Amino acid sequence: MENISKSVTLENVWKVFQDPQSGKDITAVEQADFVIAPGELVTLLGPSGCGKTTTLRMIAGFELPTRGRVLIGSEDITYLPPNRRDTAMVFQSYGLFPHMNVFDNVAYGLRLRKMPEKEISEKVMRFLGMVGLDTLAKRPPSRLSGGQQQRVALARSLIVEPAVLLLDEPLSNLDALLREQMRVEIRRIQKSLGITAAYVTHDRVEAMSLSDRIIVMNKGKIVQIGSPHQVYRDPASAFVAGFIGKVAFLPAEVAGVDEHCTVRVRGRTFTLPRFSPDLKAGDSALVMCRPESLTLLPPGEGILDGKVTTNVYLGHSIESFVSTEMGEILVQVDNPDARQIFAEGEPVSVSFIPELTKALPPEE
Amino acid sequence: MTIPSRKFLSLALSVLLFAALLFWMYNALAGSFGAIAENHYKKAAEAAMGSVPSKDEAIGGWIRRISGPSREFDLLFLKGFPEDEGGMKVFAPTPGLGDFFAHHGKDPDFARGIESAMYDEIYQPEQRFLLGGEERRVLFAPAHDGETGDVTGTAVFLFSPGGFDRFLFLLRGLFLLALVLFAAVFAVAGYSRDPITGYVILGLFTLVGVFVAYPLFEAVRLTFLQDGKFSLETWKSILTTRQYVTALKGSITLGAFTATASTMVGFLFAFVISRTKVRGKKFFSAMATLPIISPPFSLTLSIILLFGNNGLITKQILGLENFTIYGLGGLTLVQTMGMFPIAFLTMVGILEAIDSTLEDAALNLRATRWETFKTVTLPLSVPGLLSSWLLVFTNSLADFANPLILSGSFRVLSVESYMEVTGMNRLGHGAALSLLLLLPTLSAFLAQRYWVSRKSYVTVTGKPSGRMTELVSPGVKRILVTLMVLIVLFLFSLYGTIIAGCFVKNWGIDYTFSLANFREAFERGWRVLLDTLTLAGAATPIAGILAMIAALVLARKKFPCKRLLDMLILTPFALPGTLVGISYILAFNKAPLILVGTAAIIVINYVIRELPVGVEGGLASLKQIDPAIEEAASDLGADTPTVFRTIVLPLIRPAFISSLSYTFVRSMTAVSAVIFLISAKWYHLTVLIYNFSENLRFGLASVLATTLIVIVLLTFGLLRLVVRKNENLAKTMSI
Repeated sequence: MENISKSVTLENVWKVFQDPQSGKDITAVEQADFVIAPGELVTLLGPSGCGKTTTLRMIAGFELPTRGRVLIGSEDITYLPPNRRDTAMVFQSYGLFPHMNVFDNVAYGLRLRKMPEKEISEKVMRFLGMVGLDTLAKRPPSRLSGGQQQRVALARSLIVEPAVLLLDEPLSNLDALLREQMRVEIRRIQKSLGITAAYVTHDRVEAMSLSDRIIVMNKGKIVQIGSPHQVYRDPASAFVAGFIGKVAFLPAEVAGVDEHCTVRVRGRTFTLPRFSPDLKAGDSALVMCRPESLTLLPPGEGILDGKVTTNVYLGHSIESFVSTEMGEILVQVDNPDARQIFAEGEPVSVSFIPELTKALPPEE
Repeated sequence: MTIPSRKFLSLALSVLLFAALLFWMYNALAGSFGAIAENHYKKAAEAAMGSVPSKDEAIGGWIRRISGPSREFDLLFLKGFPEDEGGMKVFAPTPGLGDFFAHHGKDPDFARGIESAMYDEIYQPEQRFLLGGEERRVLFAPAHDGETGDVTGTAVFLFSPGGFDRFLFLLRGLFLLALVLFAAVFAVAGYSRDPITGYVILGLFTLVGVFVAYPLFEAVRLTFLQDGKFSLETWKSILTTRQYVTALKGSITLGAFTATASTMVGFLFAFVISRTKVRGKKFFSAMATLPIISPPFSLTLSIILLFGNNGLITKQILGLENFTIYGLGGLTLVQTMGMFPIAFLTMVGILEAIDSTLEDAALNLRATRWETFKTVTLPLSVPGLLSSWLLVFTNSLADFANPLILSGSFRVLSVESYMEVTGMNRLGHGAALSLLLLLPTLSAFLAQRYWVSRKSYVTVTGKPSGRMTELVSPGVKRILVTLMVLIVLFLFSLYGTIIAGCFVKNWGIDYTFSLANFREAFERGWRVLLDTLTLAGAATPIAGILAMIAALVLARKKFPCKRLLDMLILTPFALPGTLVGISYILAFNKAPLILVGTAAIIVINYVIRELPVGVEGGLASLKQIDPAIEEAASDLGADTPTVFRTIVLPLIRPAFISSLSYTFVRSMTAVSAVIFLISAKWYHLTVLIYNFSENLRFGLASVLATTLIVIVLLTFGLLRLVVRKNENLAKTMSI
């Protein structure tokens, strides 16, 4: 198939709703400014109510921005109605037409484009084959499983060859196993078609495994844009760090900043290669520690003493929950067979590997 | 932000341009019409001024003769000229004209007019003069002696410009309307991202504005008018005349009686069906719903056939002499039989929604069955009881057909307002009386909507508990079921009587079998039946499609004044039919919309009155449809009309079809509003039934009533057939 994917640009887009009860203004999206490159899959990630779906719906045309511009390619589509935009959306509830069978659902967009019926039937079958549903073409949607309905919705969107594919939490109604399967499938099809895609989710695992880049949103604002590795290893704030994965924060004080950041944690000094540019000497800070950047040492040798409460054996690693004076901390011990293991109830001391952490300003 | 403001500028500019164009056209039209009027005045003056009698004594009579019949102008005659020897003699036919000359005689316009006349020329000043508080156009014309042809004096014509002014007023109104329409259409086209929806909304606003708000406004306005001026006379007379106050009391009394009786009967049926194990639940439930679709007059008719002055039971069987069914008692009976289904349907919905495990819990805590009923079931059904009481109450108040035939000397407002309009030709009084009817109706409606519905205890648990414990002892149950059977039997006998009435030569006198009624009824009623079918058939698709469009717009689109539109669309539901009928004849028997006497007004009336139920049905079924389905269609490239056609309409087909059949049946059986709107050309079957009953031709009335019952049953049968086929759809929607 010919690749016609285009970029999506949001220029300083705001969306302000009016609360129907109080009449007060509520800012759902604040100053959204980003570009999705052609062929790229970008995830909008954030807790519910953070404005990610509203942003997606503004790209689709279901909501009008209060301010700002939306462009597909170089065309300004801010005020274009949804039916005249070259986008196709996969809805959280699928939005399959219940009065049409699978075939007619998928053919709907082509019929609107006045394609000859013969070509339609050929193309619909090809796309149904792509999502593995060619044998179920005559079924009504109500007689399909959730995963099959999801595939129909995907095929129906893809078949019109949109410049941009929009996915609004498409997997949230599926069970865990199916979700993983579909995730892989969506990524495979998106890549093979080279289609530009925006994907809304609140599931960080989904975002990490799917995306070229992740846009993390909170309370209507974009807090970070970056690759999955960036947002995981180098989060812009404690919020991002906490939202994107398991984390422990150790309070610290900034001793000095040059190309590294020197911090003091419980009387000991560490040099961290990654740190927030906002930090200055004398500031209080947090050292962001992922479970795998923490290590367990015999009591007194680490920074923070505590006691192992629970060990969860996962084969390739052990997750140790350590209760300390700063609360419970999760430590991931990789390759457990090659290491010293502390049994449940044993006293331990926690330390961290500075290269795997980042110094962040505390949340206000 | 530059785009909207540029749009606004272009919008403002084009509206201004259009306004200028309209203004120019208006001026040209007004000018040319003015010229025509002036020409007309001149011609009239010239024609009149050819033959002035020479004798002074004859002049008075001559003036009266030429100004008398047309009343188009007043004439003041000045014989001779100021320069003449004898001076100028003034002939004023009325003292008012004399005063007028005394007041204005020295004006420069007068001097010029008289001078022009002397030179045998007509003069018409631009200025208008006041005569008795009214504006007049004045024209000075030379008067010629009938014999010699000489100029003998000046004729001063005082034309009343009323007609011309009214024309200008209308013209101004029309042009203003054109401007507003242009601006609205242009604004929608320029501003809305979805112009078609914009136009639909504009159209709906226009529709309800013209056919709901305007007639109501006219009706209210008329009640405050006396001889074209503001006055409270009508209301004073309504509220102080005994006859009217009695009618108000009568309506409320009847409403209260019927509501109480209907609620009791409705609760009986609902309770037995939803709370006990009894055989034939389906049958009882069908019987308790059946009367709701019985055409007007049918139950009244059979009540009269059975209990009337010549009734089968009262006269032939019991031989009663002084018994009369006409009045409060008979009306309560007939309305209860006709309206208890409303209470039944409300109650059954509510009782079935009350989780019966609550009752099981009470029984489990050692309450007796009676205590359980008293402390759990009954308190929980109170909102439902209140709600059905109010619903029946408003229905009884608005009822027109039953009291029209059966009220006897008992007075109710709906009939009273009809009599005022058709009998006395006092439209103001009729309007005021039906507005009076609106007060209790509206307050009951509002109480139902905002108070009772909030007190509802109904909990939706999602799954109905299948098993239930018998809540009454076998003895009590037997009594309740017997009561139900009796009521059903009575209903059967009522319907049976109408059918029997068709085949009897002369009910009450000669009970021999005859088919003569059929021949005569169809001979006299065939054309009317066709009329009725045509009108209802025309209204049905319009109302159905409009209702679905309005429902879609109200449910899914955002636009300013949505609440207002919603309210205006739903208003006719709460209006008594008599009020609608009266306001329609008030609003549409004059310019700019003269519709009285046409088929259009009847069709429009049907559409407007049946729209609310259709819209509610559409809204309810749209609520069950995931908006993502429509969004998906629009996202795939369908514009709003395509989404409506290919997605919405098929999905809400059951609501659409039932709205169609509902409109058809209601239009076929309409009385209260349509009785004001029919004409010799377009008649209605129900009114014909009424006429036959009034003339004691009960056999003919029975035939037509039976025909209506058959049509109604056929329609609903067809509806069930069509919607059944769709049931698998209902399932797919709940994914």
